[in-house]
Amino acid sequence: MPGIFVFSEDSALAKQLLTPALELKQQLSQPVTAVTTSEADAKELAALGADKVVVLQSTSGWTEGLSEAICGLVSGTGATIFLLGGTLRGKHVAAYVAAKLNSGMSTDAKSLKIEGGKLLSTRLLYAGLALCEEELTLPAVVTIPPRTFLPPNAAAKAGVIETVKAEADGRVTISDVTPHGGTGVDIAGVTKLVAVGRGLRKQEDLKLAEDLATALHAEIACSRPVAEDEHWLPIERYVGISGHTVKPELYLAVGISGQVQHMVGARESKVIAAVNNDEHAPIFEAADYGIVGDLYEVLPLLAAAVRKNGGR
Amino acid sequence: MPKCLVCYKWTLDEKDIKIKPEDLSLDTSRAKGKISDFDRNAIEEATRIVEQHGGTVHALTYGTSAVSESLKDVLSRGPETIYWISDNSAETADACVTANVLAAAVRKLESYDLILCGEGSSDLFNQQTAARLAALLGLPCITYVEKLSVEGDTVRATRKLADCTEVATVKGPVVLSVLGTINKPRIPSLKQVLGAAKKPKKEIKIADLGLNAEQLHPKSIHKTVKGFVAKRKTIIYREANAAANVGKLTSSLAAEGLL
Repeated sequence: MPGIFVFSEDSALAKQLLTPALELKQQLSQPVTAVTTSEADAKELAALGADKVVVLQSTSGWTEGLSEAICGLVSGTGATIFLLGGTLRGKHVAAYVAAKLNSGMSTDAKSLKIEGGKLLSTRLLYAGLALCEEELTLPAVVTIPPRTFLPPNAAAKAGVIETVKAEADGRVTISDVTPHGGTGVDIAGVTKLVAVGRGLRKQEDLKLAEDLATALHAEIACSRPVAEDEHWLPIERYVGISGHTVKPELYLAVGISGQVQHMVGARESKVIAAVNNDEHAPIFEAADYGIVGDLYEVLPLLAAAVRKNGGR
Repeated sequence: MPKCLVCYKWTLDEKDIKIKPEDLSLDTSRAKGKISDFDRNAIEEATRIVEQHGGTVHALTYGTSAVSESLKDVLSRGPETIYWISDNSAETADACVTANVLAAAVRKLESYDLILCGEGSSDLFNQQTAARLAALLGLPCITYVEKLSVEGDTVRATRKLADCTEVATVKGPVVLSVLGTINKPRIPSLKQVLGAAKKPKKEIKIADLGLNAEQLHPKSIHKTVKGFVAKRKTIIYREANAAANVGKLTSSLAAEGLL
């Protein structure tokens, strides 16, 4: 029987996937099957409206190594649409399954709908320069980035849970799993961000931005070079095409030129403000408010002014 | 001594693509071709491995007639032989067709120990080719690699994911995708550029790959493509007096209810 399948190794993302899956269920009148490796997630996914949840039981904890097993489940039952969480692990599994199904795949879809028997997805091209509407022949595979959808409300009737033994890819051995350092802050979930870029001359000068962030009750974020080249801040704070996409009320970009690769991660912010000494910096075309000036002079003044205003 | 194959894409340089204000369509008329950014890292990494251990690096590409412009550039960066497939089908090829074509070409060529790709292409960034190739070729796959080492027939790759790094070890042939942080691609010397002209460039005809119409039919097409234009207020305070600018910005943020 044809159906809609969802999978993510990330618990929160797995639940979010059910929202577009249930919308597609309305349009296609096909049941939703959630695939998971976690018994705990299975109960929640069943309660949130998955008609069926299949728990893959394996001795391996490596998600990518279950690609073939997941593919077997999905193809054996005639999936029409397979939605996966757009983590890097999820994208690996998705591309593997898509190849085996000889199917199209839309990476990092922002929205989905059915039109004329095809699946339409919107996604970015050229590092965010353009938006594209992709038309996929069914069966189709799609990955959806974290936080694109909210999880659905609890369903009236919980779905059934089934457990299946899965064989992992024994050719690859995984070792030395090392979590990134950092404080575990999730900058994608905060209401105000002060983001710093290359305009900062040295690591100690982060204090200026941190002081402003404190005044604003904001968190600190940064552009790619600050995290990946200079290592001044952990990569959990980096906004951009291969970093976080954030949607705060206020995004205050300091010493960030505003290249599209960075802005694509920030442009869903409600208000964007910028401080930059180069009046021709592209950030000023992508900002609501801006100050052309030396951040070393502007930031202390701004922090003081915000404090006077009773910043909240 | 590892035999390496690098798959690369010849893309438009997105820096030179402009958005036409009248209909938000993309003006690519001034955009030049380039080796897709992370594919350049893949070429460099294969070259680095072979410099260390001996072995060979070949390159493989599939694209429109424009790929002929890429051959010398790629050969000047290390590979000793290039295989190129130029076909009109590449104009509308999706990741599915691309992987079918590349996999069919790999089967026709010799057996490789390492097949390397970039993480994703600079234009479409589908991030699919490595895992698709591995699936089609029946090989193990290690994606998102930021550090790679080869010892005998053992490949050790450090993968960088959103929340952790991990080391994947595999014996024998493997498909890898590399991140932009894995290395800094060299700038070819004049000698390397001149030497590239003498290296073999072998064309593969798509008709010789034994693919059926279904395998060459894209499952995903771009229905519409529109440039993204920021709709922002762009109120910029640019007085010489920093305090005056700060006062105005503070008022603006307060008016937005942000202070």
